[in-house]
Amino acid sequence: MTSAAYENNAAPESDLRRRGMRLGDLVFKGVAIAAALASTVLLIWIAWKIFDLAWPAIQDFGLSFVWTEAWDPVTNTYGALIFIYGTVVTSLIALVLATPLSIAIALFLTEIAPKRLAAPIATMVELLAAIPSVVLGLWGILVFGPWVRDHLEPWIQDTPLGWLPVFSGEPSASGIFTAALVLTIMIIPITSAICRELFIRVPRDLTDGALALGSTRWEAIRGVMFAYAAPGIVAAVLLGLGRAFGEAIAVNQTIGNHNAIPSSWFDPGDSLGSKIASEYVGATSLEQASSILYLAAILMVISLATNVVAQFIVVRFERARRAV
Amino acid sequence: MKRILAAGLVVLAVVALAAFAGRTQSASAKPTAGSLVGTGATFPFPLISKWIPAVDQALGMRITYTATGSGAGIAQITARTVDFGASDAPLSPDQLTACKGCVVIPWALAGMSVPYNLPGVNKRLILNGPVLANIYLGNITNWNAAAIKALNPGVSLPDQKITVVYRSDGSGSTYAFTNYLATVSPQWKSKVGVNTSVNFPVGTGARGSAGVAGVVKSTEGALTYVDAAYSIANKFQFALIKNRAGGNATPGVRGVQAALCDLPAKVTNLSQLKIVDPPKKCGRVAYPISTFTYVIVPTSSGDKAADLRKFVYWAVTAGQKFGPPLYFVPLPKAVNGFNYREIKKIQAGS
Amino acid sequence: MSELTADPYDITVKSNGLRRRKIVEKAFGVLAIGSAVLACTILVLVLGTLVYKGFSQLNVDFFTKARPLFGEKGGIADALVGSALIVGMAAVFAIPVAVLVAIYMSEYARPRVSRALKIVLDVLNGVPAIVVGIFVFGILVVGHGQSAVYGAFALAILMLPMVARATQEILEVVPRSLRDASFALGVTKWRTTWNIVLPAAIGGILTGVVIAVARVAGETAPLLFTTSIAASQISTDVSHALPTLPVTIFIFSESPDPGEQAAAWAAALVLIAFVLVMNVLAKLFAGRKRRQLEGS
Repeated sequence: MTSAAYENNAAPESDLRRRGMRLGDLVFKGVAIAAALASTVLLIWIAWKIFDLAWPAIQDFGLSFVWTEAWDPVTNTYGALIFIYGTVVTSLIALVLATPLSIAIALFLTEIAPKRLAAPIATMVELLAAIPSVVLGLWGILVFGPWVRDHLEPWIQDTPLGWLPVFSGEPSASGIFTAALVLTIMIIPITSAICRELFIRVPRDLTDGALALGSTRWEAIRGVMFAYAAPGIVAAVLLGLGRAFGEAIAVNQTIGNHNAIPSSWFDPGDSLGSKIASEYVGATSLEQASSILYLAAILMVISLATNVVAQFIVVRFERARRAV
Repeated sequence: MKRILAAGLVVLAVVALAAFAGRTQSASAKPTAGSLVGTGATFPFPLISKWIPAVDQALGMRITYTATGSGAGIAQITARTVDFGASDAPLSPDQLTACKGCVVIPWALAGMSVPYNLPGVNKRLILNGPVLANIYLGNITNWNAAAIKALNPGVSLPDQKITVVYRSDGSGSTYAFTNYLATVSPQWKSKVGVNTSVNFPVGTGARGSAGVAGVVKSTEGALTYVDAAYSIANKFQFALIKNRAGGNATPGVRGVQAALCDLPAKVTNLSQLKIVDPPKKCGRVAYPISTFTYVIVPTSSGDKAADLRKFVYWAVTAGQKFGPPLYFVPLPKAVNGFNYREIKKIQAGS
Repeated sequence: MSELTADPYDITVKSNGLRRRKIVEKAFGVLAIGSAVLACTILVLVLGTLVYKGFSQLNVDFFTKARPLFGEKGGIADALVGSALIVGMAAVFAIPVAVLVAIYMSEYARPRVSRALKIVLDVLNGVPAIVVGIFVFGILVVGHGQSAVYGAFALAILMLPMVARATQEILEVVPRSLRDASFALGVTKWRTTWNIVLPAAIGGILTGVVIAVARVAGETAPLLFTTSIAASQISTDVSHALPTLPVTIFIFSESPDPGEQAAAWAAALVLIAFVLVMNVLAKLFAGRKRRQLEGS
C-alpha cells in the first residue's frame, strides 16, 4: 500500500506554514519525481534508440527478416531466423532441463532437508547464481566443453536418444547443446530460488490435510503444493527463460558461432545475443550494422514479452490468491 | 556497521594508492608527446605489441591498441571512436566514402599460416588452394580424403573429421584468406565471396586470432587460417601451401618476400598490392597467402594529426626492423613513395 | 514424516497401489536429493577448477603488473583498478536515482502510478545487458570514443532497477508508526523520509546495493562496447577506456596460450572472490536489517 493518504494530510498545516519547510518538501518531492521520470524516460529511450539504429534494416527487409534464414555480409542479405533458432532452442533445452531440477531443489530445501542442512545448501545454490556469466563461459570453453565432447555427447549417442536426428551429429565441444547446458546451470538458481519462496508460503494446513488423508509426501506435494503454487512456478520458469534469452557472453563462448541452423544440436550454431557480441563492433557497412541492431530489437522484444507474460501471471496469481 | 564501512574505505584507499603508484611506474620518461588510441586487426598485433614500448622510447608517445578485428578497426575509425584503425583488408569504395576522408597506409606484411591439429602426423602436410577451398566449402570432410592423400604421398593420414575453424568477428585475415580462396576456386567465389565477414558454409567460429588458435589447439582435426606469428608462438604445425610454381611454400620471411615479385616498381594505389596467389615467375618459395595490413587514419585528425603522422612514419620506417623475428617482412621500397604521400595527407583539418 | 506403514488389518493395504506409491515416494526423494547434490557438485566443480587452475598464478606480480602484450607475461593490476573505478562510479550514478525512485513509489505516488513504475523497473530489469551496451554505445561512444565513465553509465542502468526494487521493498516494511509519530511531532514529510525512514531502511538498501554491485562487477557485455579498447597499463584516467576484469577474462578465455588461460582462471578467481564477499556482506546487512526492524 502506498502512502497516498499521507501525501494529502501530511502534517498539521499550522506548523508547516513556514516557507522554508514547504520548499524542502517541494524540492524533495520534485527530485523524487524527476528520478522516477528519468527511469521511465530511460526505458523508452533505450527501446527507441535500438529501433532507431535498426531502422535502415527494418526498412530494407521488413518483417520477413524474422523468418529469413541467411546472413551474408558479402551480398548484404540478412535474416534473423538462424539466430532466433539458436536463442529459442538453447533456452528451451535449458528450460526443459532446469525446471524439474529447480523444482526438485526447491522441494529438497523446503520439505526434505533438515534445517541445519537447508541453509548451507540454499547458500550454495545462491552462490551458483552469483557466478558471472563470463566465468561460466570460461569454464565452459576450457573444461566443460571438452568433457561434453569426449564423454557426454558420445554417451547420449549410445542411448536411445542417439536415434534422434538432433543428437546424431559428431560430438563437438562448442555447439547448441553445450551452450544449452551452460544456460541450464545459469537458470537453475533463479528458478529454484523463486520456487523455494513459493513453497515456503504454501499454507502448512493444506499439505497437512492431504497427509492426514493418507497421501504420501510426494502426493501431497504434487496435489497440493503444485496446484497452489502453479502460477508462481510458471512465472519462475518464464523469468528463467527470459534470463536465458538475454544471455550473450557465456553463449558466445560456447555455441560455436556458425551462421546456420544446425541439423544436429551437437553442431555449432549461433544465437541473437551471441551474434550481436561477435559482430557489432566489426560491422563495416550500414546494412550489416543496422541488421545486427534489428537482431537486438528482436531480442529485446522477445525478452520483454517473456517478462511481461511472467508479470501478468504473477499479478493474476496474486489476485486469485487474495480471493481465496 | 561503521567498522564495515571503515574497512571498505581502507580497501578503496589501498586500491587508489596502488593505482597512483602503478601509474608513476609505467608513465613514460618523456611526458611531452601525446597518446594515441587505436583498434583493429589481430593479425599485426604481435608486431604492434613490439612497437608500443619502442614508440614510447623513441617518440615519447603512449599508444593504446586493442586487437578487436579488422572489421572493428574499420567500423570504429569510421565512427571516430578511436584515433586510428588497423585492418588487413583495404577499404572498399563504400567504406572509404563512409569513412569521410581516410587514408589507408600499408604498414606491415606477413603470411597467413594454415595450422592444423593432427597429433599422429609428424610430417608437415602439403595443401593447395583448391583443396583448401573444398575443405572450407565442406566438400572435403575428412583428413584421409583422396585429394589430401594425393598431395601427401607416403604420409599416413588418420580417419579424422576435419573441424574447420574460421573467424567469427569481422576479420582482415578472413578477407585475405577468402581472397585467396576466391582466386583459386570459382565455386568459392560464386558461393561465398570475399569480405571481412563471410557466410562460411561449414565449421566453427572463434573470435580473434587468439580465438581460432585456441580452438585448433584444443580440437583434434581442427584447421584454421591465422597470422604466422600466432602459429609459431603456439608451436602449431602449419601446412605447406603449393604455389603456382609447384613449390611447397612456407609463410616465413623469404616466402612472403618472394610473393612480392610482381609488384610494380612504384606503387601508386592500393589495388596494385595484389600479392595473393603469386604468378609462377615468383618462384617455388613464394607463399600464396600473404597479406599487407593497413593503418587507417582520418585526414582531418584535429590535434592528433601531428602525433599520428609521427607514429605512422616511424612505423613504416624504423618500426619495420621489429618485423622479421615475428615473421613480418619489411615493407618493400615500392610502397615508400605512396606511404609518404599518404602520411602527408594527415592534417588537422576542419 | 508421515509414511504409511503396512498395517495387515488396514483395508487400503490390500491394493498394489501402496507399493507403487511408496516407490514413487522414494523416487521423488532420490530425485530431490540428487538435484540438490547435482547443483552443489556443479558449484564445487566450477569453483574448484578456478582455485586449482588459478591459484598458482596468484603472486605479487599478478596483482601489480598490467595486462601483457603479445607473448609476454603480465598481471591484472590495470584491470583491477579499472573495474574498481567503473563499478564504483556505476554505484555512485545508480544509487541516488534508485533510492529516489523507490522513495517516490513508496512515499509519494498514487497506487496506480506506483504500480506503473514497478512495471517500468521490472521491464528495465529484463532488458538484456548486451542491449544496454549497444544503447550506451549508440548515444555516447559514437563520435566521442570509449571511456570508463560510459562503461559506468551502462552498468548503472543495470543496477538501477535492482537497487530501486530492493529499496522499495524495504521502505514498505518500515512500520507506518514511525512515519506517523514523526508527523505527529510536526516534522515535514521530506525530513521524515530523509532522517527517519531512510536510516531505518538502510540495512535493506545496503543489501540491495551490495547484491547489485556483485551482479554488475561480473557483467561483460555492456563493457564490451564502452570500455574495451584500453591500454595495457595501470591508469586512473576515467575519460578514456579502462581495462576491466570481466572483459580481460573474456579475451583470455579464448586464447590458446596456457599462460593467458591460467591468467584468465586467476582473474576469474579474484572476481568470484569479490562477488562472494559481496554476497556474504549482503547477508550480514540483511540480518542486521531484520534485527533492527524487529527491534523497533
